[in-house]
Amino acid sequence: MSAVTNVSNELVWQITRNQNSYLVRRNTGGGSQFSRDPLNLVNKHSFKAIGVQATENGGVAVTTKKAANPNKPAQNQVTVNYGPNAGNRKIYKGVASKTAQNGYRADLREEAVARVSAVRRSQKAKKETTPRKPRGSKAVQAAEKAE
Amino acid sequence: MASRPTVSIATAEGKASGATAPLPSVFSAPIRSDIVQQVHAGMAKNKRQPYAVSEKAGEQTSAESWGTGRAVARIPRVSGGGTHRAGQAAFGNQCRSGRMFAPTKVWRKWHQKINLNQKRFATASALAASSVPALLFARGHRVAKVPEVPLVVESKTFGGALTKTKAAIALLQAIGAGDELVKVQKSKKLRAGKGKLRNRRFRQRRGPLVVYNPETDGKDLVKAFRNIPGVETSSVFALNLLQLAPGGHVGRFLVWTSSAFEALDKVYGSTTTPSALKKDFLLPSNSVANADLARLINSSEIQSVLRAPKGEARTKRGVVQKKNPLRNKQVMLRLNPYAAAYSKQKLGQTKVDEGKPTRAGDAFNKVLSQE
Repeated sequence: MSAVTNVSNELVWQITRNQNSYLVRRNTGGGSQFSRDPLNLVNKHSFKAIGVQATENGGVAVTTKKAANPNKPAQNQVTVNYGPNAGNRKIYKGVASKTAQNGYRADLREEAVARVSAVRRSQKAKKETTPRKPRGSKAVQAAEKAE
Repeated sequence: MASRPTVSIATAEGKASGATAPLPSVFSAPIRSDIVQQVHAGMAKNKRQPYAVSEKAGEQTSAESWGTGRAVARIPRVSGGGTHRAGQAAFGNQCRSGRMFAPTKVWRKWHQKINLNQKRFATASALAASSVPALLFARGHRVAKVPEVPLVVESKTFGGALTKTKAAIALLQAIGAGDELVKVQKSKKLRAGKGKLRNRRFRQRRGPLVVYNPETDGKDLVKAFRNIPGVETSSVFALNLLQLAPGGHVGRFLVWTSSAFEALDKVYGSTTTPSALKKDFLLPSNSVANADLARLINSSEIQSVLRAPKGEARTKRGVVQKKNPLRNKQVMLRLNPYAAAYSKQKLGQTKVDEGKPTRAGDAFNKVLSQE
């Protein structure tokens, strides 16, 4: 089905800005509004912030929408998976070109790369902190115990 | 005008059958969520049953006011003696065992009249919205795996062939509605409040609405679908706004049988040909031919007739830290164009040079010494 002229992004936004299953509203933070849309990069509820996504499954999955056949949800999404061993810079490069090239969403390139970075950081194993050396009276006690 | 858009018809396995159907004109009706909400609010009220408190409640004593002079309020008081009730205030809404304030009456206005044309407009609007995947997602339907929206399934799948619920579930899963069924099943929750006692014990999400044509598909599928949680069925000739836009929110996930889909043009007609079944009904037309606002604004037709912006070029500053112009020279220059000349001529550093002060003179001294 080709596009029908009675629907546009502007109209959809006007309908969904107040009634939206992805919308999260809180009174705290000055009435903050967020979005749970998996395709929303910055998780902010806004007209603009629809686009690429980077999720965690050991690696990074980047989902983009296709401009062709908007009425076929099953064929409308393209996901590129980067394994857990892929280099960060390689992923940044891939994500940046996927967002900015071919007229997709050049304005979201920086956010997309930032999100990949955040996801990769969260996947890092936590470093073991060395136990602190006892000082003062505790050091004396520890020394006595050791004897 | 380009060729009319078509919709491919899916088989029972969820694959494209190769056949297509032209998109009925209802789907190009204007999507007016305000009209849908208003009509829905009215229609939702039309199934209410009257309730009221008893006419006699709180009025069943022979209380009379004691009048003034007894150092008590002039509210009617229960007469007699021998029981604690005697002498207690009665009738008033502030009294214990008095009647309520403004007792509810069964003749309250329970139902709303809604103009027929508005109802038809709202239904057409809700149908048009059901063909926009973004609105389906916004309503919370899980339609990511659905091959196409609007979703049309071959009528030969139904037509007496689909009688068992097991087959109906298999069909829904095959056409990508499996996630939707899971969502509905998981959403079943105990209702908060008294509704639990009033046969509304559980609440759950709405799933897909299967729209069929009873003339060709028969009615066996109703029985096949009716025990699947969240799934509803409706005849294409009796579509109901309460089902098309539950809660007044447009974008219900509809599953069409192909014969129901093809019957839509007969039911709703178009903007120029009246409906065959609804008396005096033409589909509402869009007030804007192209709803893509950004494209309209950026079109060369509009841009060529706009005048140039007035005033000097100025960048709008967003939320930035306020700078102190007394310390930050660039900010000062922006605020005060004279500041450049002022500092260049070093006016701030030059002394006021008027020479030595002159003596006051004799006349002044005379006055001062009172001579």
